Amino acid sequence: MSTTGSPIATLGIELSIPVPADLVVLARLTAATVAGRAGFGVEDIEDLRLAVEELCLSLVGGGKDGRLHLTYECENDAITVTCRYEDGDGGAAADADDLSLRILDALVDEHGHSALDGQPSAWLCKRRSDQTA
Amino acid sequence: MDQSFQIAHEEIDGVPVVSATGEIDVATAPPLRDRLQSLATSGKSTVVVDLLGVTFLDSTALGVLVGALKRCRESGGDLPLVITEPRILKVFEITGLTGVFPIYAGVDDAVRSVA
Repeated sequence: MSTTGSPIATLGIELSIPVPADLVVLARLTAATVAGRAGFGVEDIEDLRLAVEELCLSLVGGGKDGRLHLTYECENDAITVTCRYEDGDGGAAADADDLSLRILDALVDEHGHSALDGQPSAWLCKRRSDQTA
Repeated sequence: MDQSFQIAHEEIDGVPVVSATGEIDVATAPPLRDRLQSLATSGKSTVVVDLLGVTFLDSTALGVLVGALKRCRESGGDLPLVITEPRILKVFEITGLTGVFPIYAGVDDAVRSVA
């Protein structure tokens, strides 16, 4: 994949999408665009696309309400994506399932789950590998 | 639903073959699950799933396929997959599922393995 336009440098990008999770496609499309603008190669972009999908799913699970708030930051050849789940019905967030965690382990350099402002959140960091963009 | 996602179903040498094209994610996996469940309910214990046209696949899709595989094997059948796209194979490899599913490079090979 190749995108054109001004470099995003260290600009942060924020995205807020409603749950249910069928709109998570927007989160992975944004990830691909950010990675393309940051000069990531095709393999890295595809890895990040899937990793961001799994990051979101690991929080939402089968949730049918609330919003996902994502931030994308690019600095020093690395993209960090943070995802916070504002659960509309106040229920507990999903436990990340084993398949999601295995995929994240394989595709990104670092990832983790925590809580931001009392809300479940997860993050990942993907560094640009040595490949032609 | 993602407009680019489609499912087709045919029988080759008496073996049901479900072909998916497009992106299989949390939004599009349910129709695939429903199709596979429907075949199981109608007594088809073995189904070939052709993923040659799939361009993206997440853990939700894997969960659907693993569930269908369990149902098939409980009925004495199997669920061979047809995959050639390296990106899709990679998802099976990193989750350890290449050792769980029989995976073929062509529909004919997959059908021959169970016909």
